[in-house]
Amino acid sequence: MDSAASRPAVVIDNGTGYTKMGFAGNVEPCFIVPTVVAVNESFQNQSRSSSKSSNWLAQHSAGVMADLDFYIGDDAHARSRSSSIYNLTYPIKHGQVENWDAMERFWQHCIFNYLRCDPEDHYFLLTESPLTAPESREYTGEIMFETFNVPGLYIAVQPVLALAAGYTTSKCEMTGVVVDVGDGATHVVPVADGYVIGSSIKSIPISGKDVTLYIQQLMRERGEHVPPEDSFEVARKVKETYCYTCSDIVKEFNKHDKEPAKYIKQWKGVKPKTGAPYTCDIGYERFLGPEVFFNPEIYSSDFTSPLPVVIDKCIQSAPIDTRRALYKNIVLSGGSTMFKDFHRRLQRDLKKIVDARVLASDARLGGELKAQPVEVNVVSHPIQKFAVWFGGSVLGSTPEFFEACHTKAEYEEYGASICRTNPVFKGMY
Amino acid sequence: MLLLDYQNVLIQSILTERFSGAPPQSIDQVVSDFDGVTFHISTPQSKSQILISLSIKCYKELVKYGAEQVLQREYGSYITNPEPGYDFSILVNLDNLPQSQEERSELVQHIALLKRNVMAAPFEKAFDEFGQLAEEASKYTSESAPQGMKEGGEVMSVHYRDEEAIYIKASHDRVTVIFSTIFRDETDRIFGKVFLQEFVDARRRAIQNAPQVLFRSDAPLELQGMKGVGKTGEKGEVGYITFVLFPRHLTPQRRAENISHIQTFRDYFHYHIKASKAYIHSRMRRRTADFLQVLNRARPENEEKERKTASGRTFRVQG
Repeated sequence: MDSAASRPAVVIDNGTGYTKMGFAGNVEPCFIVPTVVAVNESFQNQSRSSSKSSNWLAQHSAGVMADLDFYIGDDAHARSRSSSIYNLTYPIKHGQVENWDAMERFWQHCIFNYLRCDPEDHYFLLTESPLTAPESREYTGEIMFETFNVPGLYIAVQPVLALAAGYTTSKCEMTGVVVDVGDGATHVVPVADGYVIGSSIKSIPISGKDVTLYIQQLMRERGEHVPPEDSFEVARKVKETYCYTCSDIVKEFNKHDKEPAKYIKQWKGVKPKTGAPYTCDIGYERFLGPEVFFNPEIYSSDFTSPLPVVIDKCIQSAPIDTRRALYKNIVLSGGSTMFKDFHRRLQRDLKKIVDARVLASDARLGGELKAQPVEVNVVSHPIQKFAVWFGGSVLGSTPEFFEACHTKAEYEEYGASICRTNPVFKGMY
Repeated sequence: MLLLDYQNVLIQSILTERFSGAPPQSIDQVVSDFDGVTFHISTPQSKSQILISLSIKCYKELVKYGAEQVLQREYGSYITNPEPGYDFSILVNLDNLPQSQEERSELVQHIALLKRNVMAAPFEKAFDEFGQLAEEASKYTSESAPQGMKEGGEVMSVHYRDEEAIYIKASHDRVTVIFSTIFRDETDRIFGKVFLQEFVDARRRAIQNAPQVLFRSDAPLELQGMKGVGKTGEKGEVGYITFVLFPRHLTPQRRAENISHIQTFRDYFHYHIKASKAYIHSRMRRRTADFLQVLNRARPENEEKERKTASGRTFRVQG
């Protein structure tokens, strides 16, 4: 056991869109790959109808082992494009593991092919979304301990790790609101002293994917010549490279109209089917894309509360003695918070709401008592794209981590139920 | 994916990216590989000089069996003084790369195989020894061979993990490679046994050219009297897997590949134990889903429900 503790722990952050994996103590993850598995199911479906031996022979002569014939990440995309026998499965949907079969295979590949380590030699730190059911945590534990024989496992909550990522950049503060905007899910999670305030978590049905869809829609409506089979990919690239947050839409429209040469970008691409090159313009979608977080009504009529309002509501529903601290430390995490000036806009809008409330309360009191101004602070750091992973890496390298882990001996003694709770440990402060 | 890769994927991907002409960046990554090997990729002096260091538990033993010569041959001018805390380092200067794309990717591949090349030393030595012994032995008939001819060379042991080791021994007609392996987990031991039995049977059934594989839970005779090896007949958690490589495996064309293959054996073995467990789990899940379907179907079609009027009186259907 002790030899395993001397080696760096493995940190794997499974997100809906991308999985970040690497070893604790490093500054950036070794690999960031899409969370996708391409499985060859052509043999699996046969197995019922045909007799066993012929199936084995068929597999053998085809040179494949059905249960080992799968790829993950970018390889999976490449394989499914080049041949039709592979089916793509996305094991995680909306931050929750849906397909455990695929997930187990995904981990298997991560450990043996990408990280190249014997799982028996390393402690593991996995992450989960704050809304994960305890049963699924148990299930994760079962897979890790039974299949991979890991010596120790810690399942951390993503927002807590995102807070811990601030460890090196500022003095560590384990109280704050984490605004996690990922590809598949957006959560606003208040954390007090390392514990998630579960009743105040707010979720928004708008995430990174919706920004992409909105950009795709805008470009289509303007009639840009993008081949339809490619348009989602192009929209995603446009989002990642050109989008920014503006302070005022009307002014921004004017700026674009006055100096189109400065603001309108060109996208060059190659049609996947014919190989012919094409170009298209990128205009208003540069700032309208990220705008869906602040004015959701431009994208969908079902959900119309802007992100700052949701954050404010979230903090207002938290216990009253934590609210000031929560306003003071609002941390961004996830790839879709990477838009330029996103944190500035968020801070400004939030400050507006808070100041309005303070002013109203002052007016109610008739000027006899002055409320102390509330400090609103949105923290942004360059690593927020994989802040969760980085937090895991920082925590995984503290000596306390190994004591907080559930060990295999404990698992064998008490069963999977030990994975239901994961203690907040000293290294987090 | 039947076999594991021999090269380290991370080193490969980092170097490929660096070599492709991307603007230099500082790197500082510590990564593990199988068998407790640690790599440190960093740019200590300037961004265009990448230092790759390796630390391996049994480096001293490997040096004894000629690792330095092998590394000298493989990496030559790239070798620098080892970084403190590591056993071996190579330095790549980005401004001084080979021109063509093929050469560059070859260099990447070459560096990614660092661990494989370090570990290859004792195997190469054994294979060379086999060549010498075979030549000598050809002078004699089996009866007239002098004492010591049959026993072959000394046993080289490489303690590449805390409790596990590889033993390599060359004789005039074969090279024997013995892995000692330990199973901490009850289930793993059973899987391992089935798996190894399959190895033994495969040779009997289909693939005659395969090396002979033996599995036993007590120490084989070759290892008698060695440090840390139990007596024959003593059974424990340790199992011994013996590969007998025959001359046809040792031809110069096949050598390099065989060394790669046999090195990864332990990891391959453990990988497959885990993969088969995952497979069994997925079958279990499918079966449970089937049973659940059966259960759902077994519900009575129209359940007789007691119906009440607003005032609480019940109806009875007249038969």
